[in-house]
Amino acid sequence: MKARNEDTKRFELLIMPHLNAAHNLARWLLRDAAVTQDVVQESSLRAFAAIGQFVGDNARAWFLTIVSNQCYTWLKQPGRHYVDIDDEAVMHEQDRLALSHAETPEKLAAKMQDAAAMHHALEALPVAFREVIILKELEELSYKEIAAVMGVPIGTVMSRLARGREMLKKELLKNDQ
Amino acid sequence: MTSELNCNDCADWLHPYLDNELETEMAARVSMHIAKCADCKKRFAELQALRDGIRQHASYYSAPELLQQRIMSKLKQQKPAPQQWLVPAFSAAALAASVMLYLAVPSSQDLLMDEVVSSHVRSLMEQHLTDVASSDKHTVKPWFTGKIDFAPPVYDFAEQGYPLIGGRLDYIRHQNVAALSYHRNKHIINLFVIPNNAADSSIHSSSRRGFNIVSWQKNNMTFEAVSDLNKQELEAFAQMLISQH
Repeated sequence: MKARNEDTKRFELLIMPHLNAAHNLARWLLRDAAVTQDVVQESSLRAFAAIGQFVGDNARAWFLTIVSNQCYTWLKQPGRHYVDIDDEAVMHEQDRLALSHAETPEKLAAKMQDAAAMHHALEALPVAFREVIILKELEELSYKEIAAVMGVPIGTVMSRLARGREMLKKELLKNDQ
Repeated sequence: MTSELNCNDCADWLHPYLDNELETEMAARVSMHIAKCADCKKRFAELQALRDGIRQHASYYSAPELLQQRIMSKLKQQKPAPQQWLVPAFSAAALAASVMLYLAVPSSQDLLMDEVVSSHVRSLMEQHLTDVASSDKHTVKPWFTGKIDFAPPVYDFAEQGYPLIGGRLDYIRHQNVAALSYHRNKHIINLFVIPNNAADSSIHSSSRRGFNIVSWQKNNMTFEAVSDLNKQELEAFAQMLISQH
């Protein structure tokens, strides 16, 4: 029982301070408030069960790794039409040029400052690109931490961020009402 | 040996450059190129604007208040059953294998140094140097009891010219730590005490952003003394402490 109290204490000290980060990440990945709470709760219980084995010095990245895994488990359930992304498909040079020489820099600048447009554009991104952007910009994780959370090499983090940002710009220009 | 970047290569490095992930030399090459090339400069400005737009306008979904209570009450009903498969893949070796050539990947020691220096600077700027202001170790030491689960050594060295100012709780590397503040002439020393299972080690000096840092390890605690004080006097301070505890 003593070990258990010790675990509870460590959990409160190490994991609970990152509950907001966990909730924010899950909410962006799952796009549903109720499902998010369930998944965050399940992730927390798993983190608690494994806390005796946590020896690193980055509890936030460790906890977010569990949360991310749990979100994908939920997204990949049968019937949820999860589409895996293909990292090999490099962005077309054409796309990049077309975008950087877009004739609408003013329009893009305005969209970047439009909260509703930003929200819709982010939600429209494929989940892995959304995740890398949320972890970078909202949680301010380093590439190394993002690589750990998403379980991919650092090079993949870098290319997903580059692609994700280009896709986000396109989305911003797209939903034009 | 810095060669000119062309626009195509530069485009690849703009993102890690924006994210402060490039090592110094590569970052210098990118910044040199941007300074000269109007197209890349525009591209970079657009990325900065996009980042600012996301940070300002994307919703941050904080956890509802009840969620934490719900989790803590669930924990109490749970049977302790730690199992191997519950642990996520988080292998340092796998990470190391994937490190990219030009990415400056800070070690955990670097991150620790960054955090203690930031915390030192913050403590001076926010005028939040102490939670318990006292030069009496019998006041400062008990103050920590119950706030942290280890006992930092607290000594006053007024006679040697390093009076104790007080102590506060701080948060370093995702855990609560003790911070003790000392005066040395007009300088402030912050001594961070972080629980850690590493083996004892003697003092090691380094500097960061113009601050000197003296680190050592003793009795399952990592000590980080940070100050704008000169290295010799900061090391002398460290030696005094080590000889006491």
